Amino acid sequence: MIFDYISSFLGAIPAAVIAGLVPMVFIIPFALFAVYWERKVSAHMQDRLGPMRVGYHGFLQTIADILKLIQKEDIVASAADKPLFNIAPVLTFTGSYAAFAAIPFSSAYIGANIDLGVLYIIGVSGLVVAGLLMAGWASNNKYSLLGAMRSAAQIVSYEIPTVIVILTLFSMVGTLNLYELSELQSSNMFNWMIFGGTVTGWKKIVLIPLMFAAFLIIYLTTLAEVNRTPFDIPEAESELVSGYHTEYSGMKFAMFFLAEYANMFAVSAIVTSLFLGGYHSPFGYLGNTIGITWLVPIEQFFWFAFKGIALVTVQMWLRWTLPRLRVDQLMVVCWKYLIPLSFLIFLIVSLLMVL
Amino acid sequence: MKQYISNIYSALATVFIGMKITFKHLFVPAVTIQYPDVRVTLPGRVRNRLYVNMDDCIGCDQCARACPVDCISIETVKSVPGEDLGKTSNGKKKALWVTKFDIDIAKCCYCQLCVFPCPTECIYMTDVYEFSEFERENLVYSYITLTKDEVLEKKANFEKFEAEKAAQKAAPKPPAPEKPAPPQA
Amino acid sequence: MNLYDIIFYLFAIITIVSATFVVFTKNIVYAAYNLLLTLFGIAGLYVLLGADFIGIVQLIIYVGGILILILFGVMLTNKITDVPIKSGVLQVIPASIGVGMLAGILILIVTNISWRNMELTVPESTIGSLGMLLMNEYILIFELLGMLLLIALIGAANIARK
Repeated sequence: MIFDYISSFLGAIPAAVIAGLVPMVFIIPFALFAVYWERKVSAHMQDRLGPMRVGYHGFLQTIADILKLIQKEDIVASAADKPLFNIAPVLTFTGSYAAFAAIPFSSAYIGANIDLGVLYIIGVSGLVVAGLLMAGWASNNKYSLLGAMRSAAQIVSYEIPTVIVILTLFSMVGTLNLYELSELQSSNMFNWMIFGGTVTGWKKIVLIPLMFAAFLIIYLTTLAEVNRTPFDIPEAESELVSGYHTEYSGMKFAMFFLAEYANMFAVSAIVTSLFLGGYHSPFGYLGNTIGITWLVPIEQFFWFAFKGIALVTVQMWLRWTLPRLRVDQLMVVCWKYLIPLSFLIFLIVSLLMVL
Repeated sequence: MKQYISNIYSALATVFIGMKITFKHLFVPAVTIQYPDVRVTLPGRVRNRLYVNMDDCIGCDQCARACPVDCISIETVKSVPGEDLGKTSNGKKKALWVTKFDIDIAKCCYCQLCVFPCPTECIYMTDVYEFSEFERENLVYSYITLTKDEVLEKKANFEKFEAEKAAQKAAPKPPAPEKPAPPQA
Repeated sequence: MNLYDIIFYLFAIITIVSATFVVFTKNIVYAAYNLLLTLFGIAGLYVLLGADFIGIVQLIIYVGGILILILFGVMLTNKITDVPIKSGVLQVIPASIGVGMLAGILILIVTNISWRNMELTVPESTIGSLGMLLMNEYILIFELLGMLLLIALIGAANIARK
């Protein structure tokens, strides 16, 4: 893909570096936009206005905030474990950045077109958990540690229903490659996995409600994996100050923030490529109609970003709608509801596929 | 099992109801007032910064005595005969030079108790509420109309007059038979 | 030195350096995090050897699961409000005998095997053939392992209920 293209005239090593940095071009503007968007959405849901003074309707507010964060003193608590305290934000961000390698942004750009795309993303998100635990422990602050512990427990248990739903999809399509999966959902909105994929006939009608349920399950579990409300007990402002990043300030805090927003988009991107047709447009492409083929990947990127940001917006919407779950309720939701239901869906879908 | 399914149903249903409500609120006009650009109209009898109209002040010190937090401090100098201080707007004759009329607005509790005793209604509350300062001293407002030199002059005048009176009283004892004058009226 | 070599040495250095740290550091939490790096480096080496599925399973199971469990254990068994968690040096003589024997065996094996040089190719994805093998040839073992894990799970749940 892009690596081959760049390495054809620059050589392999620069190409690797450049191709590795490409998602950064997306993540940083996205994080800036998403922070602004979150503040605006939350403000309007609470009948407020949100940032209004920096730029048109406060559009440059997050840039001003980043400038402020850069200037801030880099405080390390004296009782903290300094090496781990400094590494933790980097590790967390590495975990969420690595996930972007396997996300198919458009038919022309996917960082690494590997056959195990989704599993790879789930694997590297383990680094995020380790980073959070490291941050919480190194801060040497009981709130931070509690937050990190809760976060790890939550992410580890919510990984199970996520993987089962992904397995369900794989039993339907027979590939773990996100690029191929996206290509399978092309040409028509009803080929999207949420509408049963390319299956035809009566099976599709049976599949649609199942796929809707699977979509809901994976959306909820990914929500829990990025520690968003209603599953935000790891950072619960009202009880744990702000969990694992209580002690962080300045750029390290910004790094956690960036990682959180990158993660939000990463999980939305996974859900998009698994269920909502990936980068495919629901209506067909303008580039194909007027005969400009290079327009198609750009349109695909637009659709992918649009779907991803729409899902991120729903995450924000949920955040300002629902209260936080208690720890026991959280575990009940995961172990008593999501896991059995996802198993049930998995069984039924597998049976349907065998029939 | 029935409980289980109804739990799932009620969870989903309540989530969607909540989301509907928050979605509606997305389009409710914001209640925020963009303060420096847009200001609320204050009610008519709002109590904010004190103002003293020195043209009407007779230096009676009643407001300072009424103040529960002692934020008003007034010093006056008696006028010497012959000086005309003018009249207040409601016809009272002024007899005192007000040489100091400071209000420490940082102490003021906006109770309006100083306003009621004023015989000439010269101290009152305005609707100005933006008067923050970087230095606390700047919050001590001085309302006197006299300049520093004038204040000194008035004080000197009064002292001179007092001294003259004292000299008059002290020196010539002889012309004092008219002392037992009957109190007129 | 091409890209493959660079990546290989990167992962190899990560693995070896962090593995030495795991052994020599006295702080248990540092050891655990260095173990994370070691396992991560090994996952990278697996991928470079063309075993992509094993590499990713290594990431999911060891980094995402077992290591988190180890960290949980370390953090919960000690006084969690205290940063210094140290481990001492115990049983030097038996340990060095055991390690020496293991090292001898490993060196013997490494020097005696006739290593084959392989042409550097872009490795094929192994997951399809792996799935076929698991579901056809080794189905009995696969199912038995599944049963074993299920039994362990039920046992754990039973213990947790008491």
